[in-house]
Amino acid sequence: MPPSEGARGAAVRLEGAGKAFGATRVLHPMDLAIPAGGFLAIVGRSGCGKSTLLRLILGLETPTEGTVSVEGGADAARLVFQEPRLLPWASVAENVAVGAHGSMDGVAAALDAVALPDKADRWPAQLSGGQRQRVALARALVGQPRLLALDEPLGALDALTRLDMQALIERVWVERGFTAILVTHDVAEAVALADRVLLIEDGRIGLDLAVEGARPRHPEDPAQVAARAAVLDAIMAREGAH
Amino acid sequence: MTRVERLLPLGVPVALIALWQAASSAGLIPPNILPAPWDVVQAAWRLIQNGELPKNLGISFARAMGGLVIGGGLGFALGLMNGVSRLSEAATDSTLQMLRTIPHLALIPLVILWFGIGETARLFLVALGVFFPVYLNTLHGIRSVDPQLIEMGRVYGMTNGQLFRRVLLPGALPSIFVGLRYALGIMWLTLIVAETIAANSGIGHMAMKAREFLQVDVVVLSIVIYAILGKLADSVTRAMERRALKWNPAYAAV
Repeated sequence: MPPSEGARGAAVRLEGAGKAFGATRVLHPMDLAIPAGGFLAIVGRSGCGKSTLLRLILGLETPTEGTVSVEGGADAARLVFQEPRLLPWASVAENVAVGAHGSMDGVAAALDAVALPDKADRWPAQLSGGQRQRVALARALVGQPRLLALDEPLGALDALTRLDMQALIERVWVERGFTAILVTHDVAEAVALADRVLLIEDGRIGLDLAVEGARPRHPEDPAQVAARAAVLDAIMAREGAH
Repeated sequence: MTRVERLLPLGVPVALIALWQAASSAGLIPPNILPAPWDVVQAAWRLIQNGELPKNLGISFARAMGGLVIGGGLGFALGLMNGVSRLSEAATDSTLQMLRTIPHLALIPLVILWFGIGETARLFLVALGVFFPVYLNTLHGIRSVDPQLIEMGRVYGMTNGQLFRRVLLPGALPSIFVGLRYALGIMWLTLIVAETIAANSGIGHMAMKAREFLQVDVVVLSIVIYAILGKLADSVTRAMERRALKWNPAYAAV
């Protein structure tokens, strides 16, 4: 399916945006610009503030200071959660339609895009974990998002299913041209998918690394090896500093 | 399920009735203590022919359903309201929890003073009895809906109305059905007591009148009818439950 007008990527801009919950500082003020159609991965340990950064960008949290702007506004963005979060009492097709405000238009195409065209009438309970997460991806895609946010979407999947899902995410991103932000704790996954990796440490940007290389990426590609090493070194260097 | 497995639940009741009939026929059970099954069947036939059984059955059924609709409806509405609104819960829940601890049958003397032995008294008692199980289970059902699904609904731009229809209500439904089935048991129980103590029609009254005339067969018939009505109500609810919850693997048709 050709990318429609609405499916172009949205540029994202943070200017001095930070977040504190009461006296607890979660994100220090930071500047960040993601160009339209870019693929940014945010990595970091649990509790480093990476999910808060994502929620700030999506407008689910308001910044304590600074500004966050997403081209096209919050309605241009869609979020895929760590868990599929499908309605168990709705069919697969009805679940996907949630992403289009209940409209069935485009549901079949979205299920095609995630390679589940024959599961439309199933209940979520009848699907495997990987299939459920693909339905969740279809639910996000059916709204023709200009920004797709993925909050550790593959964390609960087994290793082989993860590889399938990574390939699927990369394919729809290439086909549709939306801006993608992936939060993950898996450095290899971040480097394999993103063209830019942001390491968040204690609420600050610890590393901002561009990842080069032709797609689909091969794990043994020298650019991939180097990028993985750079991110892991940055994480370990901090470890040593403690 | 095979034919044998389908018929298996009937095995014990059928065997018990056969044993009962055999013991009665052999003279082991005096008929003025417990009449033979066949005598009960004959009593049923007699009362059907003179129109007494259909009339009383209809009256009892209407009372049960009336009380269920009033009490269950109120319990459902308040359960929904208190499940959705903290303000409404703060205003009413502690009062309701306090009233809940009173056994509703303890109110019978007061109810007779208020309403006499008319229809209102029985409707009031049944409605009061079914109110609490429906209320508590509806509230619990709404509260136990997965908060992650509610967040998903909000993130995906559902309005409050959509969130209620598509997430909260279906999520609460399994619990609401538990409340309904529990309420049905209380509904029959309350009706039996109310009709036995203060009524001039209905199955309970039929049984009490038969006791005065020492018609043990009619007394036993009344008890059997209550058992059948209770089982029937439960089966209907279970069928509704299976239909409404067919998405849930725990209720999927075997």
